Amino acid sequence: MRGTLLKPFRQGLSNRFLINRRARWRTFGVILFGCVVAVAIYLVSVRVIGYFHSQNELGIILSLKIFEMAWMIIFAMLVFSSMVSGVSALFLSRDNEILFAAPVPPEHLYFMRYVTTSMYTTWMMVVFSLPVFGAYGRVFGAGFAYWPLMCLSVFSMAAMASGFGLGATVLLVNLFPARRIRDIVAYLSLLGGILLYLFIRLMRPEELVDPDRFPDFIGYLSSLSSPAMPLLPAGWVSNLLTAYLQDRQIDWLLTALICLTPLVVFFLGEMIMKRWFFKGFSRAQESFGGERTFAAPPYHRSRLRWFLHKETKLFLRDSAEWSQLFMIGALILVYLYNFKVLPLDRAPMPTAYLANLIGYANIGLAGFLVVSLCARFVFPSISMEKEAFDLLRAAPLSLRRYFFYKYIFYLIPFTLFTLILLLASNHLLKIEGPLQWISLITGLLITWSVVGTALGFGARYADFKMENRAAALGGFGAIIFLFTALSVTLVIIFLGSFPAYRLVRHWLAGEGVSVIDWWLTGGALAVMATMSFAVPVVCIRRGIDRLRT
Amino acid sequence: MNILEIINLTKQYGDFTAVDDISLSVATGEIFGFLGPNGAGKTTTIKMMAGLLKPDGGRVVINGNDLAADPLTCKQETAYIPDRPWLYEKLTGQEYLQFIGSLYGLAEDEFVRESESCLALFDLMTWRNHLIEGYSHGMRQKLIMTSMLMLKTPLVVVDEPMVGLDPKSARIVKELFKNRAAAGSTIFLSTHSLEIAEELCDRIGIISDGRLLTVGDMATLRQAGGSDGSDLEEIFLELTGAWELKEIIRSLRAER
Repeated sequence: MRGTLLKPFRQGLSNRFLINRRARWRTFGVILFGCVVAVAIYLVSVRVIGYFHSQNELGIILSLKIFEMAWMIIFAMLVFSSMVSGVSALFLSRDNEILFAAPVPPEHLYFMRYVTTSMYTTWMMVVFSLPVFGAYGRVFGAGFAYWPLMCLSVFSMAAMASGFGLGATVLLVNLFPARRIRDIVAYLSLLGGILLYLFIRLMRPEELVDPDRFPDFIGYLSSLSSPAMPLLPAGWVSNLLTAYLQDRQIDWLLTALICLTPLVVFFLGEMIMKRWFFKGFSRAQESFGGERTFAAPPYHRSRLRWFLHKETKLFLRDSAEWSQLFMIGALILVYLYNFKVLPLDRAPMPTAYLANLIGYANIGLAGFLVVSLCARFVFPSISMEKEAFDLLRAAPLSLRRYFFYKYIFYLIPFTLFTLILLLASNHLLKIEGPLQWISLITGLLITWSVVGTALGFGARYADFKMENRAAALGGFGAIIFLFTALSVTLVIIFLGSFPAYRLVRHWLAGEGVSVIDWWLTGGALAVMATMSFAVPVVCIRRGIDRLRT
Repeated sequence: MNILEIINLTKQYGDFTAVDDISLSVATGEIFGFLGPNGAGKTTTIKMMAGLLKPDGGRVVINGNDLAADPLTCKQETAYIPDRPWLYEKLTGQEYLQFIGSLYGLAEDEFVRESESCLALFDLMTWRNHLIEGYSHGMRQKLIMTSMLMLKTPLVVVDEPMVGLDPKSARIVKELFKNRAAAGSTIFLSTHSLEIAEELCDRIGIISDGRLLTVGDMATLRQAGGSDGSDLEEIFLELTGAWELKEIIRSLRAER
């Protein structure tokens, strides 16, 4: 039975990546691209960890502290994303009506949901964390046993996080007083965002690089070298691998815990499912939400106005969507807080130079945030029209105008988001002079370009049968979009770096802007603007072509 | 005058020909029924007429305008009612109507008059400020019909109009179609229901395996079916080659 339940998932994957049992070219392309990214992550990680490692004893301990934090954050993220995916997978999936009406025991259903949700939510973490943790093995010159231990740890943690997430979801759906089950997703998102924020704040990572904050050096060292939280699975794997990296010793108790806990968590999940699933599932169907009314504003003929009205209402009335705003709020706070606590005055180079350097790199960071938020909100927005898209296509509304309206809708909040991030971080870095303008212009070019690119890719890989926006993130189109948008961001940052460097250097030295600098800046700006315009235009055109067929 | 001309329309999905060189004309004020078994190509044809699918060959001309050359003008004159009522779940019925009205540029006074009249006919007035996610399948179907019928377009293309409707609403829809046709609108409807086709349609086209087998009024169809006294069901079975059904029915009855 369990194998049968997994058949649609297996065949779906096979149909997606293979044609007549032979791999598609694009499958090879994705694998190759993924390998290139993984190798790049590995090389960068080796360099960064190697830098720490080469300093002194303190550097080694600091790099291991980062190692521990990475495990903690990944674990927290995985549990949270499993819970969010779990609500959709366990209670809102369309196939529930067929499967639960069939003589399928709930625990078998749990097995199927556990396997599929784990695959969807953890594959990216597994693929891209292996090179990072592998880099630790290389830098620390770890012995042979490190590699199987590392793989075991990564897979075991992914399995444990999925188990905790799904089990907690089944319980929460029964305990929560909310009538409408989708609200639970909202509260979970909110809870996750706040937890993530508190977690990072309570770790106070900025103090780890500042021995002066501790009353004595021994206290500082003991704070750094104290083992990770021993009651959390992330602490187990971190402590196991840290002990092996430092002393080549395997803690067999931790190894056993890592091997057995996923199984225990899974069987507990099956028991919870057997006991509580039906009650939650039944409640989910009772909450149809028909009792509330909303007064509509008076009718007006303006298409743009009604289009924006429709998009706004669809977003604000869907708790799964608006609750993400809390996450974004927490993200902005943590992001800006990092700039506030940067110990610039302790740096070996002049503060103004360093602040400008970080300010320029900050454009890229803000760009990465915009890319990830576009992947979450803008990319799936075409698919989220669902089958109602047919009504739009049948209406006298050209696809170009449709994209224009969509673009306008997302442009405004994303522009504000970028401006807030850049202006606030520049203010915290006390940046004055040309970089203020450089960062705003470059940041906005990236944002406007990425929003358009996300719409283009969203149209090209539109799936009108998608159940929710989060489901889009694991798809082929989302991955290609992420790679493309990140590449565009990096290229734009690279193009602007040399003129920006010259302008800032002259300004800091109190010199005027030379004719060469004007030309350089103008040329770079023209190339950046052309690229920012051309990439989304090409993507949107291809998207329109795809939607027309 | 013909409001709709379909000329050598063809659509292929890979090697499979879903619509094969169909040509037909529909006159202004006519109710035209498009009949065929499952998978015959009805929905594909209708989707091409609504501008949702790109034909591989042939043309669709609406009110003298080529759909491929001037899609927006053609869409302005066509109301398309799909067979499955997929709507924006998080909008209210009223907001949905306002959105559709604005897409077609409906004037304010016309919107209020027509939408309220249709909502009242379909018993949706009390539900119009509720979210669509709370609507039943039939209510959704009625809302989508309201949204299209309020536009008063010269051509209404309907895919399976009665699916999910209760008998009262189905009756209202039939009367509305007749009224609209009498007022000069053209109704092009696809249906599985031979009873609806026989009752409503001035002319009927029968499609099977992507090919248009015959077009005409009941008398013409009887001639084509080779049986003067037969009803539409018999003609349909005769033309679509479904006589093997008789054998199946006979064997099923023998099992009782």
